[in-house]
Amino acid sequence: MLVLRRRAGESLMIGDDVEIEFLEVNSQGVKIGIRAPREITILRKELHLTEMQNRAAALNIDPEKLKWTAK
Amino acid sequence: MPLLATKYFGKLSCEPADCYDFPSGIPGYEGERTFVLLNLPGKEPLVFLQSVQTATLCFLALPILVADPQYRLSVSFEDLQILELELTRQPHIGGEVLVLALLAIEEGAAATANLMSPIVMNLKNRRAVQAIRCDFAYSHRQPLRGLDRSGTC
Repeated sequence: MLVLRRRAGESLMIGDDVEIEFLEVNSQGVKIGIRAPREITILRKELHLTEMQNRAAALNIDPEKLKWTAK
Repeated sequence: MPLLATKYFGKLSCEPADCYDFPSGIPGYEGERTFVLLNLPGKEPLVFLQSVQTATLCFLALPILVADPQYRLSVSFEDLQILELELTRQPHIGGEVLVLALLAIEEGAAATANLMSPIVMNLKNRRAVQAIRCDFAYSHRQPLRGLDRSGTC
């Protein structure tokens, strides 16, 4: 992972099209602004993981074969 | 009693008391607003969350305390608002809310429980959300012991 240090008001580029600006930094967290082409989806990581995991959870199973065996 | 078309169990009659309203759907399935909780004999403690709109959408789930007896809830302010629960404290599992972990069973991989994003269902008003934690205290793919899927047991 690339780690770098930035101050409030500074920004960085990912490729030619995506800009991330660090708007505000305090003890509560960081406020960032993202400028990116409309076709790029931006999601909080936990929401992205939940969406992917929901898709996996919706796949076909065979309920007849399932049995809970733990005590 | 209305008959409900289900993914795995044909047509079942369902009680309105088992229907839960998801005002914002769930991530990946935002249009799915009503799910029925199916408890089937011989399958306990496993439960099924069947979409009312879409017969082909059904999730397998476990009560969260079965998946992890030490589980501690962390429902966000926004989700407590959707559930119409008290905003100043976490709800009591079992008393006020039913909390489920969705299970994923993928070919050739261990069964996993999503402890990061539990389904929280208000037992009083039947409103429900997938309450996504942002603290990363629990995994979205927690390996699950105790689920036999060979059908031999």
